[in-house]
Amino acid sequence: MKYGRLGALGVGAVLIFAACSSTATTAPAASTGGGASTAPASTAPGGSVGAVGSPGAWCVGGTVKIGTELPMSGGETANGVPTANGVKLLIAQLNAKGGVLGCKLDINVQDDALNGVHDPQTGAKNMQTLVADAAVIGVVGPFNSGVAKAEIPISNGAGLLQCSPANTNNGVTQPPEGDQYRSAHPDKIAYIRTASPDSIQGPSAADYLYKDLGKTTVYVIDDTETFGVGVGDSFVAEFKKLGGTVVKRDSAPKSTTDYTPLFTAAAALNPQGVYLAGTTPTGMGLALKQGRTVAGLETIPFVGPDGVADLGPGGTQGATITIAGAAAANVYGTVGSAHDLKDNTFVPAYTAMFGGAPGAYSSGAYACAQIIVASLTKAAATATDLASAREGVRANAVNSANTFDTALGSLSFDKYGDNTKPFISFYKTDMTLAGGKGDWTFVKQESFTDPNAGPAGSAAPSSSP
Amino acid sequence: MTAVSLPQAPSAWQRFRSTSRSHRSITILVGWALIAVILPVIVMIPPLSTFQPESLWIDGFANAGVFILLAMGLNVVVGLAGLLDLGYAAFFAIGSYVYAFGASPFTATQIPFWPMLLVGAVIAATLGLLLGAPTLRLRGDYLAIVTLGFGEIVPAIFLNASDLTKGTNGIGGIYKPELFGFKFTLENPVPYYVTMIGILAVTMILLYRLQASRLGRAWMAIREDELAAASSGINTITTKLLAFALGASTAGLAGVFATSKLTFVGPGQFGFQVSFTVLAMVVLGGMGNIWGVATGAFVIYTIQAVVLKELNQFFQALHVPILQSIDFVQYQYLLYGVALVAMMLLRPEGLFPSSRRREELHAASDEVGEVPPPTEALDQ
Amino acid sequence: MSVDLRGIARPLGIGVVALIVEYLLLGTQQFANAMTLGAIYALIALGYTMVYGIVELINFAHGDIFMVGSFLAMWIMTTIFGLTGPVTNLLNLVGLLAIVMLATMVGMGVIGMFIERVAYRPLRHAPRLAPLITAIGVSFILQNVIASLFGPSPVNFPQIVPADKFAILGGRIAYLNLFIVIMAIVLMVALQIFVGRTRLGRAMRSTAQDREAAELMGVDINQTIAITFFIAAALAGAGGMVQGLYAGSIKFDLGFFVGLKAFTAAVLGGIGNTTGAAIGGFVIAFVEVYATVLGYTQWSEVAVFSVLILVLVFRPSGLLGQQLGERA
Repeated sequence: MKYGRLGALGVGAVLIFAACSSTATTAPAASTGGGASTAPASTAPGGSVGAVGSPGAWCVGGTVKIGTELPMSGGETANGVPTANGVKLLIAQLNAKGGVLGCKLDINVQDDALNGVHDPQTGAKNMQTLVADAAVIGVVGPFNSGVAKAEIPISNGAGLLQCSPANTNNGVTQPPEGDQYRSAHPDKIAYIRTASPDSIQGPSAADYLYKDLGKTTVYVIDDTETFGVGVGDSFVAEFKKLGGTVVKRDSAPKSTTDYTPLFTAAAALNPQGVYLAGTTPTGMGLALKQGRTVAGLETIPFVGPDGVADLGPGGTQGATITIAGAAAANVYGTVGSAHDLKDNTFVPAYTAMFGGAPGAYSSGAYACAQIIVASLTKAAATATDLASAREGVRANAVNSANTFDTALGSLSFDKYGDNTKPFISFYKTDMTLAGGKGDWTFVKQESFTDPNAGPAGSAAPSSSP
Repeated sequence: MTAVSLPQAPSAWQRFRSTSRSHRSITILVGWALIAVILPVIVMIPPLSTFQPESLWIDGFANAGVFILLAMGLNVVVGLAGLLDLGYAAFFAIGSYVYAFGASPFTATQIPFWPMLLVGAVIAATLGLLLGAPTLRLRGDYLAIVTLGFGEIVPAIFLNASDLTKGTNGIGGIYKPELFGFKFTLENPVPYYVTMIGILAVTMILLYRLQASRLGRAWMAIREDELAAASSGINTITTKLLAFALGASTAGLAGVFATSKLTFVGPGQFGFQVSFTVLAMVVLGGMGNIWGVATGAFVIYTIQAVVLKELNQFFQALHVPILQSIDFVQYQYLLYGVALVAMMLLRPEGLFPSSRRREELHAASDEVGEVPPPTEALDQ
Repeated sequence: MSVDLRGIARPLGIGVVALIVEYLLLGTQQFANAMTLGAIYALIALGYTMVYGIVELINFAHGDIFMVGSFLAMWIMTTIFGLTGPVTNLLNLVGLLAIVMLATMVGMGVIGMFIERVAYRPLRHAPRLAPLITAIGVSFILQNVIASLFGPSPVNFPQIVPADKFAILGGRIAYLNLFIVIMAIVLMVALQIFVGRTRLGRAMRSTAQDREAAELMGVDINQTIAITFFIAAALAGAGGMVQGLYAGSIKFDLGFFVGLKAFTAAVLGGIGNTTGAAIGGFVIAFVEVYATVLGYTQWSEVAVFSVLILVLVFRPSGLLGQQLGERA
């Protein structure tokens, strides 16, 4: 039912988008009106393309597709649906302007949840399906790193670009593990990701807690999921390296219904801070809420990665601040993208189209779709059929010489498919905002040079937005 | 039904039935050979061919084969021996991890796929024995909860023993099978499909032979009445243990195959949902009937992997505006739940109840043949 | 009723000893946590054990009934009473809690009876695994109805009980913990009296023992089974409400694992035995909290099931289960 209004809202969204649009966006303002009109093509981001009158031979049947491969049902609906919506938003915006170079965009949505839980086997099957759909020129997804490890061998073998907005596990891309997944075509990688890997996000939170907040002892709890454990491990390593003490490290599966015993045991060790390694839907929201009720932990800082710092204001369904209520005071979070480079038209356009705040990875998915579209625009001149368009998209997206202007800022990718200039933005909660319901406020951002290197000297805290 | 004894010329079906009974192994081989040839042909015919390309169908059949194998194995435990196993996925997990340990860059070993099939089966069977030995004297549902617990413990161990298993990250880059220099690839599902059909045919022949053997009759005797079976000289513990081990070995086999095809294994893939899905396949197919169980597995796998995921496309194609506006993917498990309840209400004995059981059901005073609660016997 | 006294004396003894050991191992604060968790498990385990006792069905949907109960209580509080925060007036608070709990229990009881009528009763004479499969089908349905009504994200549960604490024996315990434990004990005692002393309770016991004989003695089997499901679901509903009050946020898939643990508790205590189920609930909670205290949280599930397997190996019918012998 939600998508029944898609058409009408899409038009509205585009109007807002157009009205607010001030920065350069990837949306190639291609031919308006009919697909076969004589309107000249416009410049595309990151380089201009020659004029194309009608869609090229690669545009079979007037449509090409962007695939999404995300968990869309059961307990993980909250992960996949808002992420896929990011792609739907871009498609609606571009189609309202006549598509890409006169070629309309469509979406091929795949759901990798089996019985409501993300499943590598189902993901692999979906990837085969997307590979087999010749009209698919690129895929946004998957959401979970475990699923990615089953899918990358398939997309790599077939030469179909995958752009994940959410995978952060180091091993997905970085050698030696990453090499195993690219063994079919080691020289032609087909996977990129916009999220900063765990090896950056965890340590920056540790730096922040130790240096900026001056806390030397911390309690770390993770959700046993790939993301939570990965980011927790790298947090612990960095915090110890700085000279801090990790008083206790716990792993509690998302099926945990009572975190009080865990925090009671931890409180006895008097931590000065808590790191919530995981995401709000996998239990960290409840952990935050219950942790605050334990004596000794009522006011100390709780820090979380972007799975906790979802940037949703209090009152939004499913947002961390909504779930935690008053317990969300004095909570800090890291987000793996630049704050002030963000396209500030994205959130209003998303809200106008879908009627709710975007999810943590909606903008990443939107950026992935922008990268696919921009790569298609670059490849269009030489593409003669769908297969060469697909290969052109892959080659342009992974080419580290190319830079893409996206909703997440300017992105380019290294030889492993990782963002070459990752950013971490820091946020904290302010419970006086959003009419007393609380919201996240921007603190500062740092840029890093390479996923495997440490911080490249933190940027001066920029002014508040 | 014994057509041979009839004086007049038996019908073709009767002749087929009698031949197939006296030459069961050959019938199964021929049956699977036919299936192997017919399936790829069927999916080239519209509307199936318009739905997805043939290679995807073949790939899907190979995946479905994993569940058919699992269902046939669980059928030995639940359908033949009457032991309710709610943690069957544990043995699937063990088989999967055995192959991951035997053939992945993580352990830097590469044992070929074919012997690993056997190794996986043997190790799973051994662990089945280890679990079964102390617990098989438990009756009925106490055994069920112990197996359920085992089904939760095994993935938890793979998750938490992260030094040995890479924990939640899972083991990736697992090597694909090779046969005389021919390398299996993810782009071409046909070798996997052929291998799967071969495994299914061999397993089914073995299971039919076992079912008809002294051991098979002992299983059924235990299922019907453990006390009577014991008093007629059957060693119930050994017999039950063998059922447990055989079921486990089949799951181990399935695990090795599935992992070689997926090239990744993680602890999240073996939850209760898997155990339950396989149990539903067995019950829905018709406990005790091997072909029935295989069909049940195929039906449920198709519902889960194809029908539920493609509901949106299907209803879009109907061009009914109200249906087009609903996102059916969001409601797929609701529909799955309704389908499970409806199918059981309509066919409480399963789609294809085993003939032996059907006879029992229609023999008025008899118990239905599961772990027998006395109250129900009286109700008949 | 001398049998009853013997039946209660032994579990009472076991219970007291267990509580003392538990207190010594955990300390005041964690003891309070374990008792609260145990009270919730026990309320659910009672439903499992009652249903199993009377129809020999592992009702896998029971955990989800608990979950629906927490959503029903949340809906009653927010939509009917418009509650969002703590209620400070003690009289109002007690009144509200009583009304919400009663409404939740009745509502869930009716839902439980309805499920029995639709999904289990038609299969009463079918092979025994058939209702097991429908039970899981019902579980899928309940989860997804709630997910589509309230969304798949965690949902806030109004914290109407103020978070005040009192100091005792070196710990600081919230009044809410005390309320949950006392309420669970009151409900369990009420259940014991109902099953042991009333006409309907006698009908339930006789039906569980021998359905046909009970029928011959004039017991309405359908009605008795329906009432059993009503009570089981009502207790789960009460458990769902206190879970919401305690945790403050609820989610549509909350029931599955809690249900699994509660079922473990029921089996541990001796399935079919209501006192055993209650004790089992507290034992499971103790094992979980103790694993946490020792620093092995991620192994707590393994510990719970290992304890179960060990207990069953040495006592094949659970802690308080009767040694049934071979009743085939």
